[in-house]
Amino acid sequence: MGRYLLRRLNLFIATSLVLIAILFFATRLFPAELNYALSGIALPTSEQQLQIQHDFALDKSTLRQFFAYSAERLSGNFGISVTSQRPVSGELLGVLPASFELAFVAGLLALIVGVPLGVISALSRSKSLQKLIMAVTLTGYSIPVFWLGLLLSLWFGVQLGWLPISGQINLLYQIPKVTGFMLLDTLLFDGTYKWAAFIDALQHIIMPACTLAVLPFTVVVRITRTAMISVMNQTYIRAAEARGLSNTSIILKHALPNALIPLLKHLGLMLGPFASYAIVVEVIFSWPGIGAWLVSGIYQRDYTVIQGGIFAVALVIIFFSILIEVLYTAANPVSRKDMYGTN
Amino acid sequence: MELSKLHSPFGKLSDAGVFELHNLIMNNTTRCFRSAFTLMCVLACLTGCEQKQLPDGLVYCSEGNPESFNPQVVTSGTTIDATSHQIYNRLIDDDSIRNDFVPALATSWKVSDDGMTYEFTLREDVKFHTTPFFHPTRKMNADDVVFSFDRIVNSDNPFHNTALRGFPYFESIGFAKLIKSITKLDDYRVRFVLNHPDASFLANLATDFAVVLSKEYAEQLLQQKKPQLLDSQAVGTGPYQLVEYVKNEYIRYLRNPDYWGVQPEATQLVFDITPRSTVRLSKLIVGDCSISALPKAGELPVAREHDELEVDSRPGMNVAYWALNTQKPPFNDIRVRQALAYAIDKRSLLNAVYHDTAVVASGILPPSSWAYPNDATELSYDPQKAKELLASAGVKHLTIDIWAMPVARSYNPNPQKTAELLQADLNAVGIHVNIISFDWSVFTQRLANSDYDSVIIGWSADNSDPDNFFTPLLSCGSVNSHNNWAKWCNKDFDQLLSQAKDITDKEGRKQLYRAAEQIVGEQVPLIPLAYAQRMLLKRKTAPAVTLMPFGGISFDATTAANTSGGQH
Repeated sequence: MGRYLLRRLNLFIATSLVLIAILFFATRLFPAELNYALSGIALPTSEQQLQIQHDFALDKSTLRQFFAYSAERLSGNFGISVTSQRPVSGELLGVLPASFELAFVAGLLALIVGVPLGVISALSRSKSLQKLIMAVTLTGYSIPVFWLGLLLSLWFGVQLGWLPISGQINLLYQIPKVTGFMLLDTLLFDGTYKWAAFIDALQHIIMPACTLAVLPFTVVVRITRTAMISVMNQTYIRAAEARGLSNTSIILKHALPNALIPLLKHLGLMLGPFASYAIVVEVIFSWPGIGAWLVSGIYQRDYTVIQGGIFAVALVIIFFSILIEVLYTAANPVSRKDMYGTN
Repeated sequence: MELSKLHSPFGKLSDAGVFELHNLIMNNTTRCFRSAFTLMCVLACLTGCEQKQLPDGLVYCSEGNPESFNPQVVTSGTTIDATSHQIYNRLIDDDSIRNDFVPALATSWKVSDDGMTYEFTLREDVKFHTTPFFHPTRKMNADDVVFSFDRIVNSDNPFHNTALRGFPYFESIGFAKLIKSITKLDDYRVRFVLNHPDASFLANLATDFAVVLSKEYAEQLLQQKKPQLLDSQAVGTGPYQLVEYVKNEYIRYLRNPDYWGVQPEATQLVFDITPRSTVRLSKLIVGDCSISALPKAGELPVAREHDELEVDSRPGMNVAYWALNTQKPPFNDIRVRQALAYAIDKRSLLNAVYHDTAVVASGILPPSSWAYPNDATELSYDPQKAKELLASAGVKHLTIDIWAMPVARSYNPNPQKTAELLQADLNAVGIHVNIISFDWSVFTQRLANSDYDSVIIGWSADNSDPDNFFTPLLSCGSVNSHNNWAKWCNKDFDQLLSQAKDITDKEGRKQLYRAAEQIVGEQVPLIPLAYAQRMLLKRKTAPAVTLMPFGGISFDATTAANTSGGQH
């Protein structure tokens, strides 16, 4: 297992290096002066100019420049934002938690609703119920998220006026940032309007989280269903039945854990599309996360923000893909066999 | 054979088992759903039935990020809205209703007979904001006033060069050349001496740009070697003090407890930065903000469907126009410019872009200005004449770039659509048009640095003086100030403007501005499109906001009831 983990770590580092290399070369293609694209300082003083030149080894060979670039970026120096003239790393840390919060709530929602529905549709003998569930998930899978988001906000926000459709919380609540997760922060907040603030934050997250949950939800239902059907046909299930185990215990103890293993694998594969959906959802619902921040940076030709945003998003995806793969291997006894065989 | 025999009973058994299981699960799930439903009802009750306890305050949905927190260094309305009337005060204010100047930080002022010397007497009870980073030890006095203006006119002032883009408004009116000296007479008296008389001087001091900064704070920053913070970590004398600014998200202000004027009732003021106007509207509907800026004309019917919303509007002191780069061929040919003016149909533009909430522009001055000529006539829509003029100028297969702003401004709610309509009109007379656009903060920068053909832009007046429409927009002195987008310079026109500034007689000035308008009408450096209404959407429970025909929004002495944001 130790060797396997080392290999995964190696994969993580190698992929990150490739990512940095791509960013490094892409930065040179920006239609702006190199030290401006690297640092974000519009009119550097000669002192700053020298500093930038020194930090990024601009007078050395390309290879040295690449190492200097990697060192700067990995140590958290992303330069300053072209538009706000504040450090990009600070802005990045400010927007990341909101994105994690939204992704976490949406993912949780998808699993809590999706897994039971998948199990039901696998075990149900009613053809019409099966078809209904499949039809719903297929529809959900094929609806473009930007359209769905707009439609939902039009219904619930503009026409009915039930739910807030943008932002994280009513801005009159002055919630100090502790974790950056608004739901947690409102609970940690000690003031007279603590619960009102929590409920307000909850209302604000419902629409974006539901919209973002649609894609993973449909995938969860379909994968759970297929996996469940194939597991239920395994002989050990029949053996369990023959021994007279209760139905609930057969499903929850013997069938479901095995059916969840392929689900885990698919969740890992889904991270990329999930992240791009999250960016779209954040923009539609003005969710103050990294997606909305990155898109506004792109519109404003904010080169340092673009680099920092892409770096952070890609790094997070790489990290979680590998984490899920490790979890998958740890949870799946079959894959442990070939752990030493390949890569 | 044996195998299948063995299997089939198992299979049946298993099928039956699954069936039972299914029933069991279905029962369980119904129970689950029922409890989930109850939970949701409870939650809904918690959220819906219970009256929300919102903290006291007012949320204003604004349209963009401010570029700075000091109005001296900008001209953009978004920044003015966020700073000028909230954080700062001016020496005097321009009362748009009485059309007269009223005291602000200065209690009284005297003008010498030759119109060259102005003496201001200051209030003695004004304190600057006390913030975590600055604790004023003294009241505001003449030093602060001298510092605030010295910074603009004196290039040796250490804070003159911290303004990276200069002082665009003051440069456009030639302020540095106008001022001979600014002296402190005693602690509460300041004297301005001018190089030549200027009838618009008081009006310029009353603009949103001419704010008073703290000299003590500036000295503290200089000691800390952080002079550039003067324009971002703002300290002023206004009704609200800046607490926090998060880019793309919000600006939070708290009431200034030491405010010298009438204390605003809302303890908190929040600018909710929402660039898209549909999102602003929806935030207003669900109650996340009580007042919302710059509605698109097409959204007004939606707002009227909701009983709890109302539209505040009044004629604005503004003009939307299409500026032609008169220094670049073929636009240096007057016939081409005239042809373009004849080629566009302003009526359909008004209908599509403004939904008929605006008035067709005949010249630069809007009807709400006192110098507006009542007999103004506009160039009619005549594509045939346009073609003839183009032919006589010998221009064929003309392709022009139109730069269109990406954001709504008070004078033009939808510049992109305006550009598309112009494109169609010009296509009809055989001119090909490319529309160019960037995000706002990049837009002006790029435009300033590029060799553009034409731009759809506009002007909102900063004060009630008619000169504010002419000198910044079309005078020779403003060609390099990035306000004269036509890059137009005409000696006769400038002559008229300086004559109009020298005299104080209103009727005489009106005649001179009428003559100036005529030159613009003949020379067509720019094509006026429309005079727009200033509009705000607000919840009925929100307090009345003074919407002035010019200048930034002011929440001075405004309040929001406790419930204004919360009810659905």
